[in-house]
Formats: sequence, C-alpha cells, structure tokens
Amino acid sequence: MPHRTPDWLLERIALGELPPEELAAARARLASEPGGLERLAMLEADDGATLAKLPPSQVAAEVERRRRVVEASRSRSASTPPRRWLPAVALGVPVAAGLALLMLFSRRELPEESRPQQAVLLETTRTKGLEPKLLIHRQTAGAPEPLADSARVRAGDVLQLSYVSGGRPYGAVLSVDGRGAVTLHAPESPAGPLELKGGTVPLPSAYALDDAPAFERFFFVTSDVPFDMNALMESARQLAREPERARREPLPLPPSLSQSSLLLEKGPRT
Amino acid sequence: MAIDVEACYRRYGPMVLRRCRFLLRDEERAVDAMHDVFVQLLDHQEALKQTAPSSLLHRMATNVCLNRLRSERRRPADSDEELLVRIASLEDMEARTGAVAVLDRLFGREQVSTRTIAVLHLVDGMTYEEVAREVGLSVSGVRKRLRTLRAHLQELEAA
Repeated sequence: MPHRTPDWLLERIALGELPPEELAAARARLASEPGGLERLAMLEADDGATLAKLPPSQVAAEVERRRRVVEASRSRSASTPPRRWLPAVALGVPVAAGLALLMLFSRRELPEESRPQQAVLLETTRTKGLEPKLLIHRQTAGAPEPLADSARVRAGDVLQLSYVSGGRPYGAVLSVDGRGAVTLHAPESPAGPLELKGGTVPLPSAYALDDAPAFERFFFVTSDVPFDMNALMESARQLAREPERARREPLPLPPSLSQSSLLLEKGPRT
Repeated sequence: MAIDVEACYRRYGPMVLRRCRFLLRDEERAVDAMHDVFVQLLDHQEALKQTAPSSLLHRMATNVCLNRLRSERRRPADSDEELLVRIASLEDMEARTGAVAVLDRLFGREQVSTRTIAVLHLVDGMTYEEVAREVGLSVSGVRKRLRTLRAHLQELEAA
C-alpha cells in the first residue's frame, strides 16, 4: 500500500462512499499523514469552486443538449430501411475455436466478393481499371460474413478489414465513429509506412467495435504519391466533430487523394 | 435507475472533472470530457444499479479521457503524459485481438478495458487487489489482463 493516501481514495473519503469500517480506517490514515487533512480541505474547496464556475443547471443543460445530438443520430440510424444481411450466428462456440478461426482468417487472403454485399466505393476519382476499395468481414462462428455499406453492427463485433489497392501505391485506412473519435487502422501510426501491397490485403489484426453510438465509418484513402498522414488525421478529426456530416460526407481532402468509405450502422441486430 | 443529472453532477461532477483534468492536463478539454461522462452515464442509466457510483464514474471518466488521448494522438508533453498516451493506445492492440470482447460477451460481463486497469495500476498506483475490487474482477483476472499486455507494459513499468 502506498504511503500517501492516493487521490482516488481521497475522493472516496470526501464522498463518504466506502464501507463504514474502511471509511473510518481511511480517515484515520489520512489524519495521520502530514498534510492529509489539508488535502481533504483543498479538495472540498475545489468542489465549491467547480460548482460555482460550472453551475449544475448549466452542466445539466449541456449534457442534455449533447444527449439529444446522440439520440438524434441514433434515431436516424434506426429509421434506415432494413437491408438484407446474413443471419447473425450466436457466439456459442468455444473461445479457442473462435480465436483460432480469427487468427487463421486474418492470415489468409480474403476472397473477393462480387455480390451486392461488397463494400461500396464512394467519391473515388479513378475511372479506369480496378478501383481501390475496402472490404470488411465480421467474425462469426461459421464463415466470415462480408459486410455491405450500411450493414447493422453492434459493440463487440469483431471485424477484419482488408483493402484492395487498385494499383495505388500509397494509402491509409481510418475510421470515425458516432462519438467523434478517429481511429487509424493502417498504417499503425501516423509515422508508419504508407506503401500498399497488391491483391486483397487483410490488415494484420482484427478489430472489435467499441460502444461508440450510432455508426462507425471506415475510409480508405489512396494516392499515387506519399501524403501527409497528420493532415489526413486532422481532416478526419474535423469531420468527426460533426457526427451527421461524418456519417455522409467525404473527408475534405486535396484532389490528389482518392477515398472510398463504408458505413456501419450501430445498434441491435435483427 | 433514473438519473437526475443536476443532482448527480452536484455530488460527483467535481470529482469527475478532477479526474479528467488529471488525465488530460487541460482545463477546457477536461470540462468537455466531463460533460461526455455524464452523457454516458445517462446512456447507461437503465442498467445502473449502484447507489454510490463514484467508482463507476471514476472509471467512465478514465475511459473517456483515454479515448480522447488515443484519438488526438498529441505529442506527449512529459513522461507522465507519454505513459498515459501509450496506455491509451494499448486499446488499439487489445481491440484488434477481439479476445476481450469475445470473452466478455460469452460470459455476459461488463467489459472493463485492460487499459483502464493499466491506468489504475500504473498511473494511480493501485495494487492488484485494489484494482480488482475497483473493476469487479478477481485479482488473478486483473493479473491475467495485465499479463496479456506484458510485452507492452514491461517498458512502461520500467518508465
């Protein structure tokens, strides 16, 4: 146990949210520490300062406003016309088998799909030859399930992303979510290599969706020349700040960069 | 469990803001994150059973801040922030393996992020026992979670 009462325990002492015996022991411990009671007094003074600076009614209104934005985004998601998708398969299989499948799956080249369930290509400027595109498959107990644009997914779904470069030598894969977060999937860091490989290339690892609301939209950005990843990430962050734009609009990018996207709607599967 | 945001903020808001301030090191970003923590709390209100949610809010604030650190990918200002940013980015690795999500879903558990556990242990200085009680896992469960990240954490622990 560390000598100084840790901050998290100090918070519990101030709130009185510990079992009675523990609370008494923690208070006694704090009182015996040099400056312990002063820390508690400073914390309580900070409580007062925070509530004066950010009054409860003001915070509650802002929280409600943000919640309405999230709810509106969700209801638009829920009102999307139902699409055909493969029936979800319960994950009632041994974990080891599921993970083994995932690992096996991630090491094999994914078959290219030519059915309507294939990823939809948007805003791509190329007109000749094979187009750069993104493929997403969901892990199931059986065969990996290809996901079409606007497919319904939910938190915890494990996805394998793959790309087809279409002859473009450089590219990156990233996603924005309904919470405004931007996640870079490839390269692994903004300073990583942008070179793309040929064929259908699965990213090195699968990806589990988190609990961000409403949607997750994946972008595949390609180029004939190396580009500035930091600028691309900043562009994605700008778009992500407005969830309704992030759901529909392309990334604001210079004409030298092409992009395709695939939107996954978050919510309960039917 | 219906949440009265105003009352909840009055009681827990300063604690949440301090947590966000500690992790994000910026008042404006901390206030913004604090609002999002209460949005998330409302989001989960139907599933809430706790009558003393300081522990839950502390974890939620930690998670919201780690998400921001991860998505912002700012250059860390110092070694403490670097540790946090690196822990935040552990989620990418963890999420991609899918193992935690699958296990939690199979066993019907609330998912506690391994990176949250890492912050509680490495940044907040909680012992395995304290972390275990905080997140509702067994001590061996906490140890196991951190062991899965051992290769990444070794250098962090040495920092």
